[in-house]
Amino acid sequence: MKHHLRAISAIATNTVRDAVRNKVLYILLFFALVLIGTSFLLATLSYVERERILQDVALASIRLFGAAIAIFIGVGLVHREVDRRTIYTILSKPVSRVDFLVGKYLGLVTTLWIQLAVMSAGFVAVSLASGAPVNGGHGIALALTALELAVLVAIATLFSSFATPFLAACYSVGLYMVGHVTRDLRALGALSDAESVGVLTTWLHRLLPDLESFNWTIEAVHGLPIPYDQVAWAALMGVGWCVAFLTTAALVFERRDFR
Amino acid sequence: MSGRGIQTSLLLAMACLIGVAHAQLPPEPRHARQEGFLPDPAAARLASFGFDALLADFYWLQAVQIAGGSGSPVGQSHRLGALLDLVTQLDPWVDHPYRFAALWMTDDEAAVRKANALLHRSFEYHPDDWRNRFYLAFNHYYYLGEDAEAAAVLEPAIDLPRAPRYLGRLVARLRSQEEGLETSAAFLQELVRRAPDEYAKAGYLRALDEIETERRARILDRAQQVFRERQGRELARVEELVTVPPAVLRRLPPEPHGSVWELDGQGTIVSAELRYRYRPKIDGTSRGLIQQFREKSQTGRGDS
Repeated sequence: MKHHLRAISAIATNTVRDAVRNKVLYILLFFALVLIGTSFLLATLSYVERERILQDVALASIRLFGAAIAIFIGVGLVHREVDRRTIYTILSKPVSRVDFLVGKYLGLVTTLWIQLAVMSAGFVAVSLASGAPVNGGHGIALALTALELAVLVAIATLFSSFATPFLAACYSVGLYMVGHVTRDLRALGALSDAESVGVLTTWLHRLLPDLESFNWTIEAVHGLPIPYDQVAWAALMGVGWCVAFLTTAALVFERRDFR
Repeated sequence: MSGRGIQTSLLLAMACLIGVAHAQLPPEPRHARQEGFLPDPAAARLASFGFDALLADFYWLQAVQIAGGSGSPVGQSHRLGALLDLVTQLDPWVDHPYRFAALWMTDDEAAVRKANALLHRSFEYHPDDWRNRFYLAFNHYYYLGEDAEAAAVLEPAIDLPRAPRYLGRLVARLRSQEEGLETSAAFLQELVRRAPDEYAKAGYLRALDEIETERRARILDRAQQVFRERQGRELARVEELVTVPPAVLRRLPPEPHGSVWELDGQGTIVSAELRYRYRPKIDGTSRGLIQQFREKSQTGRGDS
């Protein structure tokens, strides 16, 4: 067990080191920070509720760029190692394929959470500078965004374990988009005259990751009460999806032939 | 011609082509040309992929540009209505857009009714905000002439946090127009009973006093009408109701404050103590604007 943990830790540390050298990461982070900063300018276009607009734009930037980093770095996670043939060196050592995948995953999640912390600091700074209130609701919204990003990395890891980066990116973006509309689809399906449509949309909502469960930005921005039980269930569901995607990725990855 | 010459000529030709083609295209954004496509709110929510609030802000800023931009917002009520419907469906917890609808969607009756529907939606998300009820009541009273609806909408606002003290008296006045003075008096008696402090109680008692004055003034109104029919002229002084034979009244009802009755500038009988009648107060300019609005709405209905 100790041996596995050491291997995972070493791979995760190297993944963080590798990720922070990635220019795409900095470009996306730069744009995120620019957008968070300029949310102040966007808010001035309205004569009322400027604080709300500022925080809406800033939180949306964090979620959007966080997702972009998670997907576009995540899909190259395995492929880069195969492409550079470093995977042969790693797997020739006493490191299992599962250790490798989990290490890679944890490394990228750590990198993303560091990015998220930087973007959150920018959000708090811009909010405070413009007099917009920052409260516990924002903390919960950002924490659940962190969990959503972890789920996204798991999705990207799964697809990167068997597909090319381009296809993995397409699949991940698709799942991210569908994951955010399953609730609305279910509501629309319930209105349909055809019973089968209602059943289909209900099952889509049940079987696909309901990423809207991690979206508490409206509640945070409006200072609405956040039901802690729902947050707890969302967190539990997030952990469940991460483990499920990683387990599937490990199953696929263990059968993969690198020759 | 050399290869370089052909390339340069081609570049220049393309630059001209692009310039000419671009000049033919309208420089204003779509929404400025009132051509902007506005999606169905349900479709917009679906297409926002979880960024509902951001999309709501986008459409809100468009609405602000229409009302506050360089162009006139007159005639834009229906576009504003569609934008604000989107905003309030994407993020129903927004606050000001509901009242913004009431302020700017006033081109015709249909626009006012659409604004009213938006204000009704706000009650679910801002149940403690008296202002949304006030704006809705104003629309009912001012534009639509629906005093009873205005009173019904405003009444629950009386006890809401930060609601101004005059709301109860305003509701009573609105009720007096369609439901009669007795209803207003009964309503005010109830407000007196549950008044939170002596100051509020004094305000309601003053309103009851105004109702008593109005009740007597309405007796004089009827007498004035009879006088007009009999004499074929307007009253010169209120006392003529008693002094000019055949007398319409044996004696004038006493003015409740011990003062006298007199005619105001418009020939309406008023108490010399109060100098106004018991109805929602509205100045002459606003009265003219209401008249214009209602005539326009009538014409619009006739045309359609």
